[in-house]
Amino acid sequence: METILAGILSTAILAGGVLALGALGEVMAERVGVVNLGVEGLMAMGAVTGIAVVLAVPNPWVGLLAATLVGMLLSAIFAFATVVLKANQILCGLALTLIGGGLSATLGRPYSSTPAPATFEPVIIPGLSDLPIVGRGIFSQNILIYLIYLVLPLLLYFIMFKTRHGLNLRAVGENPSAADAAGIPVTRIRFLYVTLGGALAGMAGGYLTLAYIPSWSDGVVAGRGWIAVALVIFAGYRPISAVLAALFFGVITALGFVGQARNWPIPAPFLSMLPYLGTIGLMIVPVLAWRKLRRWMAAPDALGEPYYRDVR
Amino acid sequence: MMQFRLEKRREPSRFMLYATPVAAVALTMLLGAIIFSAIGYDGIGAVREIFLTPLTNSLKWQDLGVKAAPLIIIGVGLSISYRANVWNIGAEGQFNMGALFATAAGIFITGPTPVMLVVIFCAGALGGLLWILIPTLARAYADVNELITTLLLNFVAALFVYYVSTGPWRDKASHMLASTFKVPYYVPDLWGTLHWGLIVAIAMAIIMAGILAYTRWGYEVRISGANPHAARYAGIPVRRRIIAVMLLSGAIAGVAGMFEVAGTIHRLQGGISNNFGYVGIMVAVLARGSSIGVIFAGALMAVILNAGIVLQTKGLNTNTVLALTGLILFFTAIGDEFAHYRLVRSRPATSTS
Repeated sequence: METILAGILSTAILAGGVLALGALGEVMAERVGVVNLGVEGLMAMGAVTGIAVVLAVPNPWVGLLAATLVGMLLSAIFAFATVVLKANQILCGLALTLIGGGLSATLGRPYSSTPAPATFEPVIIPGLSDLPIVGRGIFSQNILIYLIYLVLPLLLYFIMFKTRHGLNLRAVGENPSAADAAGIPVTRIRFLYVTLGGALAGMAGGYLTLAYIPSWSDGVVAGRGWIAVALVIFAGYRPISAVLAALFFGVITALGFVGQARNWPIPAPFLSMLPYLGTIGLMIVPVLAWRKLRRWMAAPDALGEPYYRDVR
Repeated sequence: MMQFRLEKRREPSRFMLYATPVAAVALTMLLGAIIFSAIGYDGIGAVREIFLTPLTNSLKWQDLGVKAAPLIIIGVGLSISYRANVWNIGAEGQFNMGALFATAAGIFITGPTPVMLVVIFCAGALGGLLWILIPTLARAYADVNELITTLLLNFVAALFVYYVSTGPWRDKASHMLASTFKVPYYVPDLWGTLHWGLIVAIAMAIIMAGILAYTRWGYEVRISGANPHAARYAGIPVRRRIIAVMLLSGAIAGVAGMFEVAGTIHRLQGGISNNFGYVGIMVAVLARGSSIGVIFAGALMAVILNAGIVLQTKGLNTNTVLALTGLILFFTAIGDEFAHYRLVRSRPATSTS
């Protein structure tokens, strides 16, 4: 029993990391009022970049950095279209997903099913790793786990909710004309956070092929980008809740793996459906069950709306 | 100092609205050629193969028709849903479930072909409808974003199709590993491999255009999408219209899946949806909300989808087509913005009002 629990926890944390990074990136974009539906495509491009770079330079950090930069570059293009040119965010996001999915499949063909030659290896923390369950589950993970579950969410929480800059950026997402009148550079803040959020989505892709799977195949992202977008709604656009929600989905994924490994009488495709069905269930059930939750989950007021200075 | 800014037009420029898709395709051809060349393929050759060869080679026209039929059918459904401001992007899954239900009907029920074709048609529509039922109710009664729920169900549907075609319904006599028994009822052929699905698709587009333009229901759907507050104020049951439009778009996508099974493939197999559902989104967007426009947009996207096979022989992936679709979508979205706004050179701050 103990080994099973430790196994579930370990896999859940590992699997949830992709979703957590993607969701944190999306929180950044949506808090400033921009829906980025391109997360799936950004992850795919990050994933293929990670593996391609590591095959040339066998250092996972270089691969992860490259994946992050690719995510940043592509989301800067998205941000230019949606924030500067003010094009429809939904259409541009879908376009980004299609471009990322198609281009990564094209670029990734030579690397199909090649295992990553350099990956993020588990770091066993002396002492703590001997604890029951959590020792194997938490303290024998790759080093990125601490960045994803601890450093980034706390940092984002602090910036968003404890600093003046955070107040400004949330104002941009809630009421851009008021923010503009108060002298906050709306366009610049939106561009910055959409781009940084996209960088995290790219990093999520790199994490996928360098720490979690770790190899590339077409369709390896398999909807994780979309689940990440859904988590953000479920987490009420809050960084710490987003990471916890991602961990929860890691548990669901891990349960599917346990089921396959232990030969549960459920066919494997149905176990693979769990994360998608779980996401849909979590988008619907809580708002039906607790109406109060709707206020907690409320989206930024200006979410999805481009800001024009001359149109009042 | 010269400065530019966007100024809103009173009316969206009609010229831009129709010029945008053309410009988007042209830009995509250009950028596609550059990207293919940059990653080491014959870029200009690939773009010529994708966009021009299918048009000049009359042998390929049948292929285009076969690809255009499901795209037009899906586009008709999505186009009304976008008119009603409902983002169904799960046509891929609804298509798959339509194909699955149609296959089930074809395998397990026997009867004379004309009757069975009607049964299979209804089964396909039912499959698509059921697949969008939960997102529809969630959107209508709990305000849950339909965009994400419909999309996530695409993955579930693909797994479902994979399961039945490799598991319980697998045709063990055939050499194919992931394919069901043959569905013995064929949609009659029109010309070569081209089946009647294309005629049905065009008819559906024309009928839908008529319903939207000339019926009270169509008018109410359009108003519900354009201005839900005004619609509610005018006593239009917006929620019921949204439910109807979503279910209809799902059922129509299911019908497209049915035609793919009964008209083209004749079995259910993994990957039968062939990205039709995703490219169908593009068809609806390019059609500018016009059901007749769907016919032309469907034909255009069939050209691009058809290129998947050509690309494979050139060492590119079939999913490259998705990247090109994405580029067209991206440029269309930007072009649409310019249709509503124009770039003006702003005067120095001192001389403005």
